[in-house]
Amino acid sequence: MKTQSSDKNWIHYYFKSTSGVVGAVLVLIMIIISICAAFGWTTHDPLTQNPMDALQPPSSTYWFGTDQFGRDVFSRAMDGMRRSMIVSIVAVGIAGFVGVLLGVLGGYLGKWLDGFVVRLSDVIFAFPAILLALAIVNSLGNSWIDTSLAIAIVYTPIFIRVARGPVLTIKELDYVKSVRVLGFSSPRILISHVLPNVLAPILVQIALSMSWAILTESGLSFLGLGTQPPDASLGLMVSEAQPMAAFAWWTLVAPSVFITLVVVGLNLVGDGLRDSLDPARRQS
Amino acid sequence: MRLARTSGIAARLLSVLVTLFGISVFIFIVLRVIPGDTITGSLGIETGVLTPEQIDDLKRYYGIDKPLILQYFSWITSFLSGDLGFAYSTGVSVLTLTASALPVTIELALFGTISGVIMGIAIGMFSAKKPGSTRDFLGQLFGLLALAIPGFVLSTAIVTIMANKFGYFPNGYEYMTPWEDIWMNLQQMLFPSIVLGIAVAAPVMRTTRSALLETVDKDFIRTAFGKGLNSRIVQFRHVLRNSMIPIVTMTGIQFGYLLGGAVIVEKIFALPGMGRQILDAINKREYATVQSSVMIFAILFVTINLVTDLIYRRIDPRIK
Amino acid sequence: MAGTLVTTPAKAASSELVIGSVLDIDKLDPHTATNFATVRALGLVYSSLVEVGPGNKLKTGLASSWSFNAAGTQLKLVLRQGVKFHDGSTFDAVDAKASIERILDPKTGAAGRANLLTISSMVAEGRSLTLNLSVPNVPILAALDGVNMAMLSADDIAAGKVGGSNKPNGTGPYKFVSWEATQSVKFASNADYWMGAPKITNVTIRVIPNESSILSAMNAGTIQFGIVTDPLIAKQINTKSLKLFKVPALAYYALQLNTKVAPLNDKNVRLAIQCSIDRPEMIKTSMLGEGAVTGPITSPAYKSDINARPCPKVDIAKAKEYLAEAGKAGGVTFKALVTSNGWATSVAMAQNLKAQLARAGITMELDIVDQATYVPRWLAADFTATLANNGGRIDPDTMYTRYFTSTGNLNKVATYSSATLDANFLKGKSSGKTAIRTAAYTAISKELEDNAVWIWLATPYEYRVATKDLKGFVALATGSLLPLRSASLG
Repeated sequence: MKTQSSDKNWIHYYFKSTSGVVGAVLVLIMIIISICAAFGWTTHDPLTQNPMDALQPPSSTYWFGTDQFGRDVFSRAMDGMRRSMIVSIVAVGIAGFVGVLLGVLGGYLGKWLDGFVVRLSDVIFAFPAILLALAIVNSLGNSWIDTSLAIAIVYTPIFIRVARGPVLTIKELDYVKSVRVLGFSSPRILISHVLPNVLAPILVQIALSMSWAILTESGLSFLGLGTQPPDASLGLMVSEAQPMAAFAWWTLVAPSVFITLVVVGLNLVGDGLRDSLDPARRQS
Repeated sequence: MRLARTSGIAARLLSVLVTLFGISVFIFIVLRVIPGDTITGSLGIETGVLTPEQIDDLKRYYGIDKPLILQYFSWITSFLSGDLGFAYSTGVSVLTLTASALPVTIELALFGTISGVIMGIAIGMFSAKKPGSTRDFLGQLFGLLALAIPGFVLSTAIVTIMANKFGYFPNGYEYMTPWEDIWMNLQQMLFPSIVLGIAVAAPVMRTTRSALLETVDKDFIRTAFGKGLNSRIVQFRHVLRNSMIPIVTMTGIQFGYLLGGAVIVEKIFALPGMGRQILDAINKREYATVQSSVMIFAILFVTINLVTDLIYRRIDPRIK
Repeated sequence: MAGTLVTTPAKAASSELVIGSVLDIDKLDPHTATNFATVRALGLVYSSLVEVGPGNKLKTGLASSWSFNAAGTQLKLVLRQGVKFHDGSTFDAVDAKASIERILDPKTGAAGRANLLTISSMVAEGRSLTLNLSVPNVPILAALDGVNMAMLSADDIAAGKVGGSNKPNGTGPYKFVSWEATQSVKFASNADYWMGAPKITNVTIRVIPNESSILSAMNAGTIQFGIVTDPLIAKQINTKSLKLFKVPALAYYALQLNTKVAPLNDKNVRLAIQCSIDRPEMIKTSMLGEGAVTGPITSPAYKSDINARPCPKVDIAKAKEYLAEAGKAGGVTFKALVTSNGWATSVAMAQNLKAQLARAGITMELDIVDQATYVPRWLAADFTATLANNGGRIDPDTMYTRYFTSTGNLNKVATYSSATLDANFLKGKSSGKTAIRTAAYTAISKELEDNAVWIWLATPYEYRVATKDLKGFVALATGSLLPLRSASLG
């Protein structure tokens, strides 16, 4: 039986969709920018303050102007992109790994494990994210790892849900039931039959969650619970720039453009993946 | 069959209770882990002028002198009997505070969901007319752009532009409940609902668009056509039926998210809702207010989930 | 009335002033009020014996005159006649005595108690209240100003009807009408106010939890008065359409150093920090220029000379010398506790200071926490350094005895005291002569700066925004809204 993503042509279908391609290109550009920032290949140092040059509009020296401390906005935005990317990848990585693990095991093994997984998922879902972030930031510390952890916990239920659904359906399929009766080991069934079918929605959810993670981090920064100054994340830059937008528009524009491009890019990638991985949706 | 259904619902209810219990313990612990307590939360650095005896007195007054387990049981038993606790700073019971804040948040979440669904369906239909075209791409792009702008930026931008350019800022007036002044209330809910609705609109748009696209060359459409039915109506009905499940599920989740995630919008638009109540209480370390408010939220949330689930089962009989 | 020739004046048209504030009040008890919003609001309802007026001068309030005895151990206050509480009862010496007793009662938890501890006994006779002091204490007069020193009705105190959910009953220009938590506080003018009924008949303080939204509300005309604290917002005020009141605040920003913890227990390290700081740069970048360099004492009559410190201007070379003296030529690292939401510019200031210190090889790591977490750590002196926003008073005694005397209840937080400081504070407290007090406080200021106990940075501005229709309003450094009693709209 042909499962959804066992068809290797999905990549071919992916690149046939405009949005998928545009999305992939955008994300790639953002990753390149992040790598450049990681190696320090920025126009200026993101942290150095040059108060003499404070609040200058874009120029040939400072491509996107300077902020109130005389820091180069463009370089900071590049570094911010790197940080937002890292938080997003780590948060979604943890949430995805834990969520899929719990969702698949719970869905497949059923009974009390499934009950526990669903309960846990509901408890986290119903919990105000802000309170969780506040608790983590206050008890563990406020480095980027802690912010990622807070976001990871909040996003785990979504992955549990996305992974568990298909597993429940697949479990009931006749051929899976028969294979179990025949004595095939559970891990083998899980790996060769269950996981491939879960992969598609998971990949899509990863792309979407990564885009949400960047926005969540910005909301947390607005409330003082995200990345801590003087480090920059795109969200923190936007929240710092917002009261100055009336007289220093460039401080808001650079990080906003970067956030928009990466969020739009990730969403388009998610859409492209969804369209190409589900044979029912493929455009002929 | 009947028996299975009833016991299914009973099992569901039991699981809801277990979830709520888990939440109550979780919230209690998390609050106590955070540094600071009600005394420092209310007096700030002036706590330094208090003598140790005064601090003991205050601890007794705020009920934070007993061992944690006792505090938990004291709170949860009061909560279950309808006494949500006391907000010491305002001298008002948490029940009274919640009774005025909760309707605001519910109204906001409701309008946010509705506006999001309307916007999503509208853009989805717009895009689906000519799939793969520029129009389609633009429609999707517009939906995504709106999503990509952080909520607080969009909110502040709307407020600033409306107030400075057009002198229009209904949220600058006293908040009016629908019973006091329905017209003012709707105006005050307008922009916040749109901002919140955007997060809902994006997935709705996507689902509507793909559901519409699916109907294009399905056999049963042709059959219906042959029978003389208007293709538009058939399309619409099909879209509705097939998208109902994901939209209903999504709406349930989104509604819950909106309930909890509206604090930023409430701050910028000065809406006296639960988000602000909880955040302010967290900042003041008013334990009872936070715990009871979060429990109310949780109860609402699991109820919505339960209802969504039941609707889900009715629509899709394949699920046991 | 028929037959009378005197025409009764037309009833004043009612006018309403809506004030936008980010913070809501948090209680109704004036003696325990510490939150700025609460103090501002209750200041409209309650009066104190003395008031701080424009020019930061002490003025008569509910006390119409006062005198010290020669030894400075007895203060006689003559109370104003014809003052009524909002419930109609008369204010007299019995009420004044009861109010002060309530402040002194440890059970009240009054914020101003420490300033009145020298009162050994009081005598209330008719129009006057005499305070007998155990030691000469001249600044006690200035300490009697403010909401924390509000005069309450003795009957209310006896019946326990103060604070909680009890309706405030004061002698101020406005009567308390209602408090809708998180939304608004409403006041109506007091027709029997001793200075004459306020022309603005209704005042509402509306909670708008975002300063940008407050500005928008002013631009849209939905509110007529706004309390702004963020210089970034203040910069956006269109002074063509709105009135901006700007007055240097008495509050000050300082980098408090923990002199008992390494590496700051070495005076040379602290001096190195002092010399690395470029205060004008900090003001320019993190406060957008909206501030003034300051020394320890901000009280106008005794203001510290900002040049009387080892490094009045930034001097990196000298900073490095001090570091070498301390044996730390390679640099020094310490953590600074910073609040993320204590005031608008806290994080910006911390960032700039960090960058400045780095130029001298000093690494200041920022430990940023939210205000409610910051407070208990500050109180426990659980920090090596911390960026603080402390209140100022018009008298240095009330401003600093609790920090820098060995018996001060916040000395643990200040981490420094000495016999000379104690002696000078006592001198300043006991003498009524300006020359002696000035000498004492100059000496105190010098000792604090020479030892770089804290790094005093700057004072901000108090901003008030108002509609152009508001007339007769004067902004005070204390932030009090009391001048509204003489203001009018249009």
